[in-house]
Amino acid sequence: MSTWLRGAERRLQASDPTAAEEEVAIASVAEDAYCTPRLKGIVRRVAGACGLLGDSGRGCQPMQAKQVAQLTDDEFNSLFRPLTKRAHIVQFDADATELDPAARGAVEAAWADQRGASFFFVVARASPDGKTDHNGELSAGRARSVLDHLIARFKDPGIEKQVGLLWLGEDFAQLGEEFCEWDRSRKGEPCTAKEINRSAFIAWIDCAI
Amino acid sequence: MGRFDEFEAFDDDPPEVDHDTVGLGALARPVRLPLIVAGIAALAGAIFAATSTADFTAHLDRQVHAIHCSVMPGADAQMGESGCRTVMLSPYSSWFRSSYWGGIPVAVFALAVFAFLAYRAFHLAVKGQPRRSEVFFLLAGTGLPCLMSALFGYLAATKVGATCTVCVGMYFASGFAFAGALVAFLLTRKAPTPDPRAVRGFALGFLEGCGFVAVVFLAYLAFMPEVKAEKGRGPAGCGTLVEAADPGGVFIDLAVRPGATPSIELLDPLCPACRAFDGRLAASGLGDKLSQRAVLFPLDSSCNWMVKSSLHPGACAVTEAMLCAPAEGAKVLEWAFAHQEDLTAMARADEAALRKKIAQEFPGVASCLGSPQVKNKIVQSLRWAVANALPVLTPQLFVNGKRMCDEDTDLGLEYTLARMLEARK
Repeated sequence: MSTWLRGAERRLQASDPTAAEEEVAIASVAEDAYCTPRLKGIVRRVAGACGLLGDSGRGCQPMQAKQVAQLTDDEFNSLFRPLTKRAHIVQFDADATELDPAARGAVEAAWADQRGASFFFVVARASPDGKTDHNGELSAGRARSVLDHLIARFKDPGIEKQVGLLWLGEDFAQLGEEFCEWDRSRKGEPCTAKEINRSAFIAWIDCAI
Repeated sequence: MGRFDEFEAFDDDPPEVDHDTVGLGALARPVRLPLIVAGIAALAGAIFAATSTADFTAHLDRQVHAIHCSVMPGADAQMGESGCRTVMLSPYSSWFRSSYWGGIPVAVFALAVFAFLAYRAFHLAVKGQPRRSEVFFLLAGTGLPCLMSALFGYLAATKVGATCTVCVGMYFASGFAFAGALVAFLLTRKAPTPDPRAVRGFALGFLEGCGFVAVVFLAYLAFMPEVKAEKGRGPAGCGTLVEAADPGGVFIDLAVRPGATPSIELLDPLCPACRAFDGRLAASGLGDKLSQRAVLFPLDSSCNWMVKSSLHPGACAVTEAMLCAPAEGAKVLEWAFAHQEDLTAMARADEAALRKKIAQEFPGVASCLGSPQVKNKIVQSLRWAVANALPVLTPQLFVNGKRMCDEDTDLGLEYTLARMLEARK
């Protein structure tokens, strides 16, 4: 018996108490395969300028988004192409900023599907109909509607820190008709470039920034 | 310890009287046979007890080892879950757990008792002239492991819910030893005159037995491993919470006791280790000194992005139920622990069936299950673990913000928790 006990003591004294703990994964946010260093750099710049990482306020004006991203329209949209399974397009009526029931459901489902993601982007647009300034305000109102609904529906203290709003109006990174094939709130209804741009593109970004 | 001669000296019968031979010559051999049976049974019991002691002591290095779980002496040890491991980790496998890390295994006492009984049985068999009082002492002695076998068998069946095969070996050994001693006793002729030294002989035999136990017990104490408290080990804990607050309102009250030491348990409702830990904590009696809250961390990939596969299918659904009705959380957890295997099997086959079952059992959560709001709550619960950079494992216990080291959550639970509680005073 003394041999057994001495053996246990020898092993105990020789063991490193932290070794076993180091073998266990540590809880962390998600890091998806599409999070290339380039994408993360862009997301960080956009996120920082849009008030996610600092205290400079929330939301980006169209020109700001263009400047911080330093991207062309197509490059900007291509940022979101890998998010086919994560993104949702919330559609609005013409010249309106209110969410209809389907849009509200889509926003809630998207928010609940956070998993390990760190940033929730709301990129609102307007179709080219009407004046440019008005469309800028319209897209800002649409982005704000999404945020307001999230705040009203979820008592999540992370909302203020996790949601980034971008409103692009009609003059930057308009969506092409191919986005009609994505998950959108008015599935089954006709969809052209006009309809798909009366929208807010919402998605969790699974990158550890 | 050797008292062969003393027992000879206590024989107050006339020297020419031979109990085995005076008119009973034919019984001399039959008495020896059951004594040998009792001795062999006691020896087998000692081997089982030694095996169990060896397995227990191996774990005093705070690591996980293979353990023996067979009634066949010499069978290979096994890793992984088994009834023997469950019983070994249960609070009933050792005594004095609050005083010594792991406590003193019951198997150590069993080893001493079986060894003593084997010695007494073989001594009487070799002696060939057992007096009735001596055989009665052996019979009484073999009654002790029988009683203990009944007690521990009952505890295993009712409290632990698992059976230790090596322990079953000891139960059978106890039974055979008792049976052998009983037969020997029945075959031993009553002395024609009362034996005035029987009581003294019984008392000395008892002391001799106590001596056996004491020597083994003290030897165990003398060689028990000890470590100094240091960071990352024992009561010093393995880290502290950096974000102990609950801004998302995801804590589940398990047993909130005003004035008691606050504790948080990170758990998965379908995790067998969590259920076992919960049982050990309750049995330790120290749980009453904690104001217990839980943070849910289902190891199920359907909602937890930190695990690649579902270790515990259905854990997300049960977690949803607990978060849907936090006031009922403890009740849901108790139900999930009680039906853990069934619920896991049901979820593995069809998670929708599990959700239906939960809704039937707790109608109040039916409309909430699967809703975006409760899914968001799960995310917040998981992100609490992220904010504290916790290891992806369950269970974890935080006592007053200090994390109990994983190596202390089973055999060393009482010892470590008692000191962590003491440190708070």
